[in-house]
Amino acid sequence: MFALYKKEVQSFFCSPFAYVVSALFLLVFSLSFISGISNMDSSVLKFSFSNIFYNSFFYFIFLIPLLTMRTFAEERKSKTETIWLSAPVTIPQVVFAKFFAVATVFLMMMVLSLFFPLVAALHGTVIGSSLACGYLGFFLWSMVCIAIGIMMSALTDNPILAAVLGEAAMILVIFLDNFTNSVLIQSIPFLSKIFAWFSTETRFGAFSQGLFSLSDLVFFISITLAVLIWTVIIIEKRRWSRG
Amino acid sequence: MVEIRNLTKYYGTHPAVQDISFTVGDHEVLGFLGPNGAGKSTTMNMITGCLPSTSGTVLVDGYDISKDPIEVKKRIGYLPEIPPVYPDMRVRDYLNFAAGLKGVSRNDRTKQVENAMERLHITDVQKRIIGNLSKGYRQRVGFAMALLGSPKFLILDEPTVGLDPTQVMEVRRLIQDLAREHTIIFSTHILAEVTAVCERVVIINKGKIRAEDTIANLEASVGGDLKLRLKVEGEITKVTEIIRNTEGILSVDEVEFDSVGVNAFTVAASSEAVRKTLMSRLIAEDCMVLEITSVKSNLEDVFVKLTASSRTQSREDAFEELGREMDEQRMADASAQDAEDTPAADAAESEKEAKD
Repeated sequence: MFALYKKEVQSFFCSPFAYVVSALFLLVFSLSFISGISNMDSSVLKFSFSNIFYNSFFYFIFLIPLLTMRTFAEERKSKTETIWLSAPVTIPQVVFAKFFAVATVFLMMMVLSLFFPLVAALHGTVIGSSLACGYLGFFLWSMVCIAIGIMMSALTDNPILAAVLGEAAMILVIFLDNFTNSVLIQSIPFLSKIFAWFSTETRFGAFSQGLFSLSDLVFFISITLAVLIWTVIIIEKRRWSRG
Repeated sequence: MVEIRNLTKYYGTHPAVQDISFTVGDHEVLGFLGPNGAGKSTTMNMITGCLPSTSGTVLVDGYDISKDPIEVKKRIGYLPEIPPVYPDMRVRDYLNFAAGLKGVSRNDRTKQVENAMERLHITDVQKRIIGNLSKGYRQRVGFAMALLGSPKFLILDEPTVGLDPTQVMEVRRLIQDLAREHTIIFSTHILAEVTAVCERVVIINKGKIRAEDTIANLEASVGGDLKLRLKVEGEITKVTEIIRNTEGILSVDEVEFDSVGVNAFTVAASSEAVRKTLMSRLIAEDCMVLEITSVKSNLEDVFVKLTASSRTQSREDAFEELGREMDEQRMADASAQDAEDTPAADAAESEKEAKD
């Protein structure tokens, strides 16, 4: 399993892929950082990293399918999946190896973004605990998105289609909250309750405010696991019905 | 030992492999022979665990592929029809990765990778990116991958496709060489390959086993009369007359022009002893015999006989049959459509079409 993980991480850095996505990520992050600073005198909006996390995530979330689109779709297209289908590894191991590889690439991008709090710390004070909480929330929410992206990639043999499906899923993830708060859904309390349970945004909101709660942590981890298990089922199912 | 018992695979309702069983003993080279689309790759995918079977089992050293897939996969090296190589990786990195995936320990990895590269003569391209290599090289990289982890069994799906003639020879030699340490099952539709490296063949067609035996036995089974081929210098009518009148000659099947004054005859003889009488008679009549060989019916005949539909058929017969099959198919389609949307006129029309 480790061999597959290592190979996946390497393949991100062998192609310009990881670099381009990281650059875009940093661009998004720096733009919200700059706009945060420039709005500082207006005193209407207080500058805080939680806001930056919140803003940048709305753009960044659409980069995640670009990272995940190749994971399974490309292998299926070029018929390289036989190498791990015939190797003494299980499909859950493969799925988790690929997930951890994307997660690692993502973690590297987050480490790069530490540059901004460091710059801020030079001329002001950064509240460490709040920042850490924001980062944790950011990371957890991304894990859910990465898992969803991988699942979309397992559905098709076309990486572009996987990316498009991924984007659609990301829109759903982002707007589920808005949808829950819409008048229509609010009028049906039963439905709104269910949707609210699945809405990730409010939970991320809590994290970005510097509020850490165990239930949110469990929520993100269990959703990620559930999506990954679903991916395993999709791959197994396809193996049975191939032809 | 690999035991395949009543293996069946359906793709939807289409049967790809139907109830096949055979056993491969240790250190044996088994040729898996069949025309394109016969179910060779499907069977191999099932043996290696890439594809689950609809029913039936595969036992590798006593382990069932559906119950202990990991144990089975540890013992198998598989080279699929399309080598599973990552085009963006370097040859050496790829092989290192594959060795890791197969659970080769870190200390062993370098040695095994180098060994495999040497065997396949790809050491000189180890630093190159696989995507830039030619098809033959990619095939060899895939082959090297299959050897990693020193598996007891090697399953090779058309290992020589896309290689140039010298490489084909090399791969055949390699297979013979590997047979000392491994049990090999390899599929092909090239007959010469089977004759060159296998002891035993399984011939499969349309998802069913048509024959399973040693090559010698199979060749003997088509047998028939002994055929002799002679090259004789002399006047054609005279020579033909002499041959025909020799005792024990059943018929003169073919006469071909070879060079000026020399003709090649293919004759059916009743026994080997006829050769002597034939020779002495021809020489006595001043006809120079330049060459005399017995023509063995070979695996090719077996293959054609078994994979063509039940009886031997001429070209015309084959066409006729194809036409009939197509008609039947169309009738079946028409009736299926009929069942779906009954309009009688429609059915009549398609029936008419079928008759046409």
